[in-house]
Amino acid sequence: MLFLGIDIGSAVSKCVITDETEAIRGKGLSPGGAGTGGPQAAVAMALADAGAAAGDIAATVATGYGRNLAAAADSTMSELSCHAAGAVKLYPGVRTVIDIGGQDAKVLSITPAGKLDSFIMNDKCAAGTGRFLEEMSRVLAVPIDEMADVAGRAAHELQISSTCVVFAETEVISRMAEGAAVGDVLAGIFAAIAARVGALAKRKGVVPEVVMTGGVAKNEGMRRALERELGTPIHVDPLAQYAGALGAALFASQSGL
Amino acid sequence: MSEKKVSDRQRIEELLGIFSGIAASPKSQLDMYTGLGKKAVGVFPYYAPEELVHAAGFIPLGIWGASGTVREAGRYFPAFYCTIARMGLELALTGVLDRLSAVVMPTLCDTLRPLSQNFKAARPDIPMLFLAQPQNRKTYYGKDYYVSELMRVKGELEALAGKKITDEALYESVQVYNESRAERRRFVQLAAAHASLVSTQARSAALKSAYFTEKREHQTLLKELNDLLAAQPAENPRDYTRVVTSGILADGGNLLKIFDEQSIRVAADDVAHESRSFRVDVPESLAAEAPMYALAEAFAQQTDDSLLWEADLSHRQQHLIDLVLDSGARGVVFLMMQFCDPEELDYPSLKAALDTMDIPSIQIGYDQQMTDFGQAETQLMTFKEIIG
Repeated sequence: MLFLGIDIGSAVSKCVITDETEAIRGKGLSPGGAGTGGPQAAVAMALADAGAAAGDIAATVATGYGRNLAAAADSTMSELSCHAAGAVKLYPGVRTVIDIGGQDAKVLSITPAGKLDSFIMNDKCAAGTGRFLEEMSRVLAVPIDEMADVAGRAAHELQISSTCVVFAETEVISRMAEGAAVGDVLAGIFAAIAARVGALAKRKGVVPEVVMTGGVAKNEGMRRALERELGTPIHVDPLAQYAGALGAALFASQSGL
Repeated sequence: MSEKKVSDRQRIEELLGIFSGIAASPKSQLDMYTGLGKKAVGVFPYYAPEELVHAAGFIPLGIWGASGTVREAGRYFPAFYCTIARMGLELALTGVLDRLSAVVMPTLCDTLRPLSQNFKAARPDIPMLFLAQPQNRKTYYGKDYYVSELMRVKGELEALAGKKITDEALYESVQVYNESRAERRRFVQLAAAHASLVSTQARSAALKSAYFTEKREHQTLLKELNDLLAAQPAENPRDYTRVVTSGILADGGNLLKIFDEQSIRVAADDVAHESRSFRVDVPESLAAEAPMYALAEAFAQQTDDSLLWEADLSHRQQHLIDLVLDSGARGVVFLMMQFCDPEELDYPSLKAALDTMDIPSIQIGYDQQMTDFGQAETQLMTFKEIIG
């Protein structure tokens, strides 16, 4: 018996298929979030990865901002509950989850029993989100995947005072016009986002172990900056971006059995 | 179900529909009243002595901003400013308030004070009756000062009305308003007890419509609704997720729609636009003797509000905790009005007090210009998943 979790985010769609033992049998990820062909592509990839057909799925739970658009879903769950469940599955001892997605950042407190206890989200603002990194990638002409390496070669970290995407772009352009090294600017950008997300996490309270989920978790530079900001190690699983979809699949299995 | 029960339920829906219609179109109410030859006076928040306006023969109409986009008022206010002030001025600048004979503008918070002056500059043709309320409202000198302010506003209203406001007329208005306040308090209880019949949106509309309707008219309709609700069978309180709401406003249709979609109902509220505005009556025995002092006394008795100075903040914390415990709510939803300093300053201590009692709470940012409620939906959905 297979269970499907679909996480339709603002920029990327992710799917995970689990079985009745909660083992991951397949996964799929496709660019394009709510209102695009991304969800269908991600489902097709996950099914192919699991060697399964749509008819093999016993129950489906959709999550993410586009959850209500997933017509095939049997039910929906909030992405916060799903990320919490996914993170607990990946790191059973987790007490704090930092999820930085395409358009928002969330900090989740997990009970010792592995249940979501409370949460905090950033205000409506691109600061401290994946969108901010995308914009900076564009301004600095450094692909997102290479940002961490470039920042790792920084001689020193420039201070970027603004975390507003609009103002930060102006500030970064000014720094570049002054002749600043790209790596130094990037290190400053990571530190600025880390300060923003770190403040959110401190408001909630940071209890180890800390796990990062969401697409931005893949960025090593971001993780390092956040570790420095919070003064604690942060775990990032290779499946960090799938945590929401994994949690949704686990909820599907609970509802389907 | 018997024929009577069916017709009672139909009438409940009908009455809720009437309130929704009124709440959705305050300008139609203004046009209706002025079309009938009556004069209307706009009343801005907070704790304005509507009884005075009523006793002068005007229809008091509450102005708590409106959902929409600030365009014209952007000339007077920066973007980072309370939308009640900005949208209130927007209404004035776009002709919505043209038929008002005047506006009464209390100045209890630092946002409303500049609004009064900007309003005066923006619409010099609509008389603006400035009302300075004392934060030291419980002392004898605070009450004396407030009476002097009320006397000044009374004089200005009399000049506009072309007649004196007699003590008898004011006493009668106090009675009308006390009855209305009592009926609204009763409705809050009944709406919570009959959650399947009164949605969160309908509850809001019934309360909001009181701002746009002559109080006796509203009272008559609301009493009929309350009597019908009281006769309905008791409901299981666990059928819905019951919360206490706290904030300045909780009237956004798109926001409250999420409450209804998630089967969340308001068990009790600590909202300035709702219960905070009708929880204290004007003492009638004093009103019979000295009605202006009775108005000052009623203001002095107001408490548990971010807009009112208190020496002991723990009183407000306990009030919120009591609301949760007494109503059987499972948590508190703070609807934080953007750029509202008084609310933001009180929030950390309220949150800490709830935490010590293990009462779950959530804070959702809100303002009248919001069009995207995706984040609010996620927050409410998650909160419900946590509290059950």
